[in-house]
Amino acid sequence: MKLRAVIAIIACKFTKFLLRILKKGGTNLPGKIAVKICPSVLGVMARGVTTIIITGTNGKTTTSRMIEQCLVEAGVSFFCNKSGANLLTGITNEFAQNSDIFGRCRKQYAVIECDEAAFRQVSRYVNAKHIIVTNIFRDQVDRFVELETTMSGIRAGIENSPEAIVSINADCSLTTSLVKNVKNRIIYYGVNCPVYEDLVSEVSDAQYCINCNAQYNYEYKTYGHLGSYVCPECGYKRPETEVYVTEVVSGDLDSTTVKLKINNDEKLLRINLPGGYNVYNAISAAAVAKGIGISEDKIITALSSFECGFGRMENFHIGGKNVRMILIKNPAGCNQVLNFLKNTVKEKCLFVTIVNDRISDGTDISWIWDANFEKLEDLGDNLPMIYVGGARADDMANRLKYAGRSIDRIKIIKDDDMLLDEIDKADVDVFIMPTYSAMLSFREKISKRYNLKSYWEN
Amino acid sequence: MDELKICYLYPDILNLFSDSGNITCIKKRLEWRGIKADITEIPVGESLNVSDYDLFFIGGGQEFEHGFNIPDFADKKAKEIKKAVDDEKVFLAIGTGYQLLGNYCKAVDGTQYDMSGAVNFHTIAREERFIGNYCFESEELGGLKIVGFENHAGKTYLSDGVKPLGKVLKGYGNNGEDFTEGARYKNVFASYSHGSLLPKNPVLADYIIKTALERKYNKEFELSQLDDTFELNANKAMLDRLLG
Repeated sequence: MKLRAVIAIIACKFTKFLLRILKKGGTNLPGKIAVKICPSVLGVMARGVTTIIITGTNGKTTTSRMIEQCLVEAGVSFFCNKSGANLLTGITNEFAQNSDIFGRCRKQYAVIECDEAAFRQVSRYVNAKHIIVTNIFRDQVDRFVELETTMSGIRAGIENSPEAIVSINADCSLTTSLVKNVKNRIIYYGVNCPVYEDLVSEVSDAQYCINCNAQYNYEYKTYGHLGSYVCPECGYKRPETEVYVTEVVSGDLDSTTVKLKINNDEKLLRINLPGGYNVYNAISAAAVAKGIGISEDKIITALSSFECGFGRMENFHIGGKNVRMILIKNPAGCNQVLNFLKNTVKEKCLFVTIVNDRISDGTDISWIWDANFEKLEDLGDNLPMIYVGGARADDMANRLKYAGRSIDRIKIIKDDDMLLDEIDKADVDVFIMPTYSAMLSFREKISKRYNLKSYWEN
Repeated sequence: MDELKICYLYPDILNLFSDSGNITCIKKRLEWRGIKADITEIPVGESLNVSDYDLFFIGGGQEFEHGFNIPDFADKKAKEIKKAVDDEKVFLAIGTGYQLLGNYCKAVDGTQYDMSGAVNFHTIAREERFIGNYCFESEELGGLKIVGFENHAGKTYLSDGVKPLGKVLKGYGNNGEDFTEGARYKNVFASYSHGSLLPKNPVLADYIIKTALERKYNKEFELSQLDDTFELNANKAMLDRLLG
């Protein structure tokens, strides 16, 4: 045990303590200091903990929360990195806060959401026992530039984790390609049927075979490039699934009911979150929980009682109505939200989009032109008005105009407080679709005004 | 009813930067004026007969899947494209699509790939990318300020007979050295600007549309004025941020 590591842990804890006194929610500074003092301190702290790494483009946060719920049901102790602190520094901080000053962790499990680009680095220090890759889509192109870069990082992360059981989304041809040559135990999970009647048309991130470049055939698609792909040339195809959904029985604004197979029998599961993409999040959590050895009944209980978190279909009850917040951060995720809304909204409501272009949002907002906002117009008079906010409100308003919305049905409100005033006044249910930094700040604003819990207190 | 036949080349592979917003923009701005927009998508493997179309759009893609090396283009379509450019068909080409119109692209490892040779310029790849919001000024359009988002690893150098689309006011443009951005040659409009480019640069959008209509019908066109408040607000918001 190096003295340097002890100092790093103490410095990290102390900084965090100071920030808490000052009521600052900033989650990266303590970790930054620790990594600066001792770059490998994470390795020291992670030694005695069973670590679960959740990575992939979309669904990391929700899947992590679902896995936690499974661990709660199983009655084991764990900690997690909440509120999206998913780079090396944030993860180091979480371990430090849950260890004594000698780096001995007090918990059995660590549930770690890890940024795709940071996974390679984190895996050098953490010998993960469970890894889940949720899916791979294009995300924030100015940060990652190319899918191949993202993928090679995840691949390296898996290679650095020879003991891990790896849960893989069988429906994503990019994700399955990551484990072609690894010896780990793989749990493939997937949805063995379509999830939406009416799917938005969107650009596929993987039309062509990753091995031979021939165009994939699909028996069905669930969304984006996810589905039962098979390459007519080289035969590369969706693998057999071990954990899977056989039928989407019903879905509404609050939940989706599916038939799920984890071990032997199909079970009915009411996922306590709406939307097809949350079906994926639920079965990915189920796959991980199975790998951990949690019983089927406990998994089902966990997923049906799960309460969502942090701007992901989060429901605030404000002024006698539901105000749901649904993070949008890339075209694939946004199209999922649009799929869900188009198929589920049956009454008059108000939409609000808040688009920022900070680093955490992706500074290039071109992607709004790849998200199929045209679909919103199918809602007709159930959607008389859309409010638009954020630093790039003008671009978003313009996007909606070109999506076929008449401009008198779009209102630009750049000031967050005024926007919240307007939301407060609404007498119908509200759906807020913010980008990442907008979600953080607007959620904070809602919490303050309505006295809800702040995220750093979670 | 007047009509533009639009060819959207490689929507299957050159689609990384959401440049399809340019197609959406052209289509809407035509329809709002009672002009028909007939859009045909030509993916890899589909044959292209350039005389069928009035306006061509090619967007940006990523190197992982295709890069400079698109056999379908080199073997089949490059010649057709050059023919169409020579014939003064109207082109809007962004990013990779822009690079395809030049003489050649040199990859980081030194390999040189022949492009269509339709427009006299070449591109040299580099490791670092030019990324960010930027703006440039078009002399041809009376000092019009155009905004967009650039994200490219290629440095493009224009040669004889080719003008830039604009002069860089903020950002990198073609190569980060000579303040040129994009290319203008005959009826080719080429740029590194994503964003998408046209929706928040409506004057440029209309200029391209007008050029295509005049080329097709061989007469002057006066486009009716649209309410561009949203478009110009988006343009101005970015200009204010970049130029202060």
